[in-house]
Amino acid sequence: MKVSGYQMFWLISVSSIISTSYLPLKLAAEESRQDCWISILLGGIIMMAVTGVMLRVCMQNQGKTLVAFMKDLMGTVLGKALVTIYFLLWFMQMFTIARGMTEFQNLVMLHRTPMSVILLFMLFLVAYAVYRGGITAVSRCAEVIGPIFVFILFVQLFLNPQDMDFKRVLPIYADSGWFHIVKGAFKAYSYMVDPSIILMLFFFVEIKRTAARAILWGTAIPILWGVLAALVLISVTGPVIGAELITPVYTISKFVSILNFVQNIDAFFIPLWLLGAFIKLAVGLFVLSYGLSEWTGFKNWKLIACLTTFVWMACLIYSTHNIRMSYTLKNPFLNGYFYPIAFFVLPLLMWIIGSIRQRTKA
Amino acid sequence: MRILLTYIFVLLLLPAAGCTDFVEPNQLAFVMGTAIDYAGDGSIEVNFQIVIPSQMSGPFKGGSSGDSDNFVVLSAVGRDIFEASQKIQKKTSRRLMTNHRIVIAISEEFFNKNDVSKLFDKLGRDPANNLRDVIILVKGSKAKDFLMLKHPMEHLSSIAAGKELLINDMKSFSSREFILDSVSEGTRPLVPVMQIEKIRLSGNKTKQIAVVSGFAVLNKKLKVQDILDNSEGSAAAWMAGKGSADGITIPWKDGSGTLSFRLTHPERRIRSVRGNDPKHLILTVKAQAYLLENKTPLDMYNVEDVVEVQKYMNEQIQKELQQTMDRVRQRGSDVFGFGEYLHRKHPYWWKSQKNDWDETFKETDVMVKADILLRSVGASGSQLK
Repeated sequence: MKVSGYQMFWLISVSSIISTSYLPLKLAAEESRQDCWISILLGGIIMMAVTGVMLRVCMQNQGKTLVAFMKDLMGTVLGKALVTIYFLLWFMQMFTIARGMTEFQNLVMLHRTPMSVILLFMLFLVAYAVYRGGITAVSRCAEVIGPIFVFILFVQLFLNPQDMDFKRVLPIYADSGWFHIVKGAFKAYSYMVDPSIILMLFFFVEIKRTAARAILWGTAIPILWGVLAALVLISVTGPVIGAELITPVYTISKFVSILNFVQNIDAFFIPLWLLGAFIKLAVGLFVLSYGLSEWTGFKNWKLIACLTTFVWMACLIYSTHNIRMSYTLKNPFLNGYFYPIAFFVLPLLMWIIGSIRQRTKA
Repeated sequence: MRILLTYIFVLLLLPAAGCTDFVEPNQLAFVMGTAIDYAGDGSIEVNFQIVIPSQMSGPFKGGSSGDSDNFVVLSAVGRDIFEASQKIQKKTSRRLMTNHRIVIAISEEFFNKNDVSKLFDKLGRDPANNLRDVIILVKGSKAKDFLMLKHPMEHLSSIAAGKELLINDMKSFSSREFILDSVSEGTRPLVPVMQIEKIRLSGNKTKQIAVVSGFAVLNKKLKVQDILDNSEGSAAAWMAGKGSADGITIPWKDGSGTLSFRLTHPERRIRSVRGNDPKHLILTVKAQAYLLENKTPLDMYNVEDVVEVQKYMNEQIQKELQQTMDRVRQRGSDVFGFGEYLHRKHPYWWKSQKNDWDETFKETDVMVKADILLRSVGASGSQLK
């Protein structure tokens, strides 16, 4: 299985834009109101740095996946224990996106279709793509879906010129202050882009140097989109309403009225978001099941992918009966310990250990 | 394995068409207008104007000429909008669909006796609302009566109201902007007012018809503070930056005839007087004027007269706008968004002031300046005698 740099770019940017468009805008706007675009920008810069560190780690450990090099760097027991943090992270991301997707479809369009049916369609498709072609099939899909998806999402931001009033972004800074801006950034960053998947995917890349550049671009473009989306959101809805919108990008798309004629185009966007969600979920499933197969030493990762899908589906169906399980966005444990460890502590640790080893060898 | 997969595919294909949620267009009831009335102790009366598609003729035939109606108005009382809508749903054979609604009419009584902001949640939470519909205030009667009216030219009174607002260029009164204005700290909403009037159409036939009759000025709690008539209302809308292309007629000096202009490109700008004192503001209005009627002895092919007309027109408009400004300002409802301007210009000063902005606004000194360009004097020079 090989992935080219070009495919890598689309894989990263599609799966990052999907999460950027869903959660962080509200989380940031709740804290910093009309300055939420600064929070997003700040969170984006943090995530760019994290991506940079992770890329360094990948470059130091070429030819190995995350599971293998963590074992290498930290010893078998500790490495195996710590890598589960990433397994949990990926599983949670897949869980959040799949759950948000079904809930959204049930709310907006399919009022009577049972949630499990919608889930079954998506998860079957995801599992099938991963089972048949692995990362090759998923990256081919990303290559086709990506350009359309990213282009239309950028276009969408400029479809409401008549509703926009950029004065609503003012006053900058004075109302929120640095404390709320930084707090907004720290609530939002972990849901914005998703650099941790490259720790696994970099192993499959053919030409490492071009792929590194592609990954950085693939992270930068969703951040740019996120900042623009925050600006558009505030200028269309103002800070008070903007902070309350759970699906902000969908709500903006509902306001679109081109010449009083082209209206209600949200029905056109929903399938597009589903295509994007498919890429995100498929990448997540592949990374998780391949990692698990290396972790357990059980070679048949395709079978693990199928089993994971069943567990995943069971969790999703169970979560509809247990509301607490599906509202973990503001969980203080996750925000205070889990995400910082996954995004800052572990990558930095691996980078430092890797650098020391290289030096002692040389 | 392959056979198993094929089976799963075929099985999944069957429900993939999404027929579980399929609703034929002939199972839908299109709600074009909603009217909200007060129904005593906290409950509200919701009225839906629903089209009867089989009675609709083409868009050009228009009017409810025959005996048969092409709409029904169904109403119910509930503790909130949803409860009332559910009761209405029970009375209909089709699924109610509000996505294409044009107008939400709210009676003056409801504004004053109930909390209008309670309606916002339903508008924002339920994806079946588009927030592009216009909110109007119905003065002098129940909002339901407005929906019941037949319009001589249009199929439905709500379509008529929507078109009336559109053709008079009043685009900035959607429910989204209404909610935006009412939740922002430095702006109070300005709502178009409609009133039912009896007019004589032809021969002895008289008919009731709803006409735009000015704007309502609301306060922070969304109670009606003042109702401005058409000319004052459009002046206020212009100064609020929601201006519409409009006409204006001014008397010439010494009462010798009048001049009428068409105004286009209305704009306004707020700025502080030198020294950055937040309590002294200047509001400049801009527009382009086209002279379309001249009953004065002036010769508009003479440059001196044209210059004089532009100068005098500016003075007159400035005077009229200043009157409206003072009237609204004395009531303490800032529909012009000065508060938002100060919020952006002096954010730290604003923090200490925002809680009693209404009182501060009463004491704020606002000067109106007009900067109107006479673009054209029309197609003839002096008046034809």
